[in-house]
Amino acid sequence: MSAFGDDIPRSLAEMPTSEIKYIGQPLQRSEDRMLLTGRTEFIDNATLPGMLHCAILRSPYAHARITRVDTSAAEALPGVAAVLTGEDAQRWTRVLPTTPEGWGGYCLATDKVRFVGEPVAAVAAASRYVAEDALELIEIDYEPLPVVSDPRKAIEPDSPLIFEENGHNIMYERLFTWGDVDGAFAAADIVLSESFRWHRLGANPLETFGVISQWDAVDNTLTCHGAFQAPSYMARGRAAALDIPSNKVRFIAHPHGGSFGGKGGGRGTDITALLSRKTGGRPVKWIEDRIELLIGGGSQAWDRWYDASLALKNDGTVTGLRVKLIDDLGANAEGFGASGAAKPLACFTGCYAIPVAEYDLKIVATNKLPAGPYRGMGPPPHNFVVEHMMDMAARRLDIDPAELRRKNYIPADKFPYTIPSGNEYDSGNYEAALDKLLEMGGYKGMRAEQEAARAEGRLVGIGVVSTIEPGVFDWGAYSIIGARGTGVPEGATVSIDVWGKIICRVGFAMEGQGQYTLITQLLADYFGVTPTDVEVIQPDTLSAPPHFGPGGSRLGVAITGAVLGAAGLVRDKLIRVAAHLLQQDVSNIELMDGRLRVKEEPEKALTVRQAAATMMSRADLLPKDLDMSPEATFVWSAPDRKQADEQGRVKGYLTATNAAHLAMVEVDRETGAVSILRYFIVDDCGTRMNPATLEGMIQGAVAQGVGAALLEEYVYDEDCQPHTTTLMDYLLPTVHEVPMTEKAALVTPSPFTPLGAKGAGEGAINTTPAAIMCAINDALAPLGVSAREVPATPNRLWTLIQEAKAGKS
Amino acid sequence: MIEQARVDPYAKRRVSMLVNGQPYEGEIEARTTLVDFLRIDCGLTGTHVGCEHGVCGACTVLMDGQAVRSCIMLALQAEGASLTTVEGLATEGELHPIQQAFADCHGLQCGFCTPGFLMSVSELLSSHPDPSDDEIKDALGGNVCRCTGYQQIMDAVRLAAERMRT
Repeated sequence: MSAFGDDIPRSLAEMPTSEIKYIGQPLQRSEDRMLLTGRTEFIDNATLPGMLHCAILRSPYAHARITRVDTSAAEALPGVAAVLTGEDAQRWTRVLPTTPEGWGGYCLATDKVRFVGEPVAAVAAASRYVAEDALELIEIDYEPLPVVSDPRKAIEPDSPLIFEENGHNIMYERLFTWGDVDGAFAAADIVLSESFRWHRLGANPLETFGVISQWDAVDNTLTCHGAFQAPSYMARGRAAALDIPSNKVRFIAHPHGGSFGGKGGGRGTDITALLSRKTGGRPVKWIEDRIELLIGGGSQAWDRWYDASLALKNDGTVTGLRVKLIDDLGANAEGFGASGAAKPLACFTGCYAIPVAEYDLKIVATNKLPAGPYRGMGPPPHNFVVEHMMDMAARRLDIDPAELRRKNYIPADKFPYTIPSGNEYDSGNYEAALDKLLEMGGYKGMRAEQEAARAEGRLVGIGVVSTIEPGVFDWGAYSIIGARGTGVPEGATVSIDVWGKIICRVGFAMEGQGQYTLITQLLADYFGVTPTDVEVIQPDTLSAPPHFGPGGSRLGVAITGAVLGAAGLVRDKLIRVAAHLLQQDVSNIELMDGRLRVKEEPEKALTVRQAAATMMSRADLLPKDLDMSPEATFVWSAPDRKQADEQGRVKGYLTATNAAHLAMVEVDRETGAVSILRYFIVDDCGTRMNPATLEGMIQGAVAQGVGAALLEEYVYDEDCQPHTTTLMDYLLPTVHEVPMTEKAALVTPSPFTPLGAKGAGEGAINTTPAAIMCAINDALAPLGVSAREVPATPNRLWTLIQEAKAGKS
Repeated sequence: MIEQARVDPYAKRRVSMLVNGQPYEGEIEARTTLVDFLRIDCGLTGTHVGCEHGVCGACTVLMDGQAVRSCIMLALQAEGASLTTVEGLATEGELHPIQQAFADCHGLQCGFCTPGFLMSVSELLSSHPDPSDDEIKDALGGNVCRCTGYQQIMDAVRLAAERMRT
């Protein structure tokens, strides 16, 4: 079978069952009973014999030279087992790899610090309490250096340098031109231009990162238990950083309390590994606390300055798009943050048939925390910019914003469709989604309501936007910024025991998306059993099949491919057993409803259990060349992926989920506070595997979108001191801020994926910020001002309203 | 206040309390938080630490029937009290109606915040068997969930209330 698995069912009709019982049903999750009773082993619940606890000393300066380190008093504190410094890191580890290359350091600062929160030293002690006491006894002398806080100034030749050896602060720059952009803008009837500022926000999972590392001093092996989002990927990285053969590094991923890309953890894992090494092999636990996550964790993303232009014909046809981005990545490139500036290539022109486009991209270093991945991985701010420009066009031409979008949609009969930046959208019907949305929301009535509210002097606005969620990422999508490789393996091992019970082994831990439940649904329908007959197991990284884990709206599709591929291989073995016992030709046996039956005489059959049990207990009855193993592994990857071409164009994402959102908001004239009055969603992610978990993912992403649009911002001052250091400062949306949404589905199955499903894990984070911002700006339109800074906090909107008043008086 | 300020945070103190009806006793440093006592000394790891500042509500437990943040309380402040944690909800393998409603309505995803939500809902329904949506929101306003967007949690609370009334 090929990596894609030509034999894998492309639709529900191709499943070996006469009636689909579980796939597509809002099945209760197999994960839930453990979670609800508090018995799930999150990493902080785990304890090993002799375990020590780690605390990390972090830099109070954004940019400074380290001139003296004295750990003697800390080492003398009773209960302290070891203190680790940059000197140890330099001696025992390699510089952390970065993307782009050449912008990194060691897991503990050596000669200088580059951001507040950078680890400088670490302690292993009998308890976390004692470890933190010891931090206060470590003496570090710093010589402060000029701080680089504004990426627009950081690119100037006279800027202080974050990495002196590089000679400048520009981590990456490239002008992508796809088609005759100059020609399109020269020929345009109207050119609209605008600038935008999207502030830093981030993942902030409820559970912070945590790890227990144990270095075997005799065998030189490393075992790490932790909240790893991509266990084998992390393990390989640690093997490289710590200079251990990769087959001596064993990672055990625990279920984790959300990630959204924000688990980070490379530095913490290295630090605990080195502390374990320094203590002669005692296990060392580090649980990132919330302040550490907020100032030094893997959570921050998308600190951006945008300029955008749209070329337009008088009839509303958009003929070109230019986007200029300065992306503030912070103090190094170790956190994959640069991927966030590359991913918009996968949906650069949104849902629209815009023929040419240009992307002028600069990724710049400053003295802020290095940015990392966050759910959506980059497109959410880009989508906001594109959707704002579409609304500007509608306003300028006095066309209804929904109709302007309809006019520019990629037509339903043009799929698969390649956008100027090279990605291919597999399928979709954007106009049908819009129609469904407008009908569900009662769009005309909403506009009438808005008119009435405006007549009363209220600032009520409506946002109607459409976006693409690129699904099933491939490394090729990030080849432009130096990511190597094509294809992302996701494996599953399916086995059936003598009682007909099914075990599925995968490489990733539970994280919240309900993927283990999805696996039970797939295998129950495939082999004609119930979901409780299926157990999903996650072995360690040395035992699990090749895998990546959740990320890039990929795992639902990928694990479906892996599980069905493996199930197909097991079926093929069982068919051979049945054919042998029933004295039939193999081609005459088929699996259907849990039975291996003779095609022409379906009453002649073996059950899956009989065939599996025979395989493992009656070698004498098996075909001579068949082993006693009703078990198979299949590793799935998206088909037909490549590296970027010379223009940076790449077919990076296999699926294009579409969502249309309709939001109605009111801005309080006196305070600038925004209330979300109504919210409607139509989404099309192809075949819906478990509508209840899917709707939960969408709604959860709405909440994060509301946070992005209205609340969440990592605030740094001009010295790059972070001001958002607790959850009292960094505002996560609560039940009071998140709208209860009305949702409907359109189902356009993907022609390219197992069962026709499309990636949907990132969901509404791609759409909600744009929808709310467009609604706010619709509310503000009568005042002649618009909000172009995100989040649109009460203070920012109040200031705009005051400016409008001053302008009028 | 003056009396409390004199306590040596490192001094060992004896503390005892009832947790889920069982007596727990320990000798701890005075500075030990309640959540650390529950998780480390009592081994009851179902209560989670999310933010350590009393904002996110993941560490919510019931103290003498009242929902409290165990991350910003000292264990000594619970001396002699009767506590309920998430481990005290299910009995003999049967989920509590609130837990069952969360499972039925998909009121959880990663499940890390869930024990805190369950305890807040538990307090709410003990005093408001038929809560309005606004009352539910007020009761849950101090619990942050990063995964669900709250809609299915609201459904779960309504369903639990309905089932517990009948």
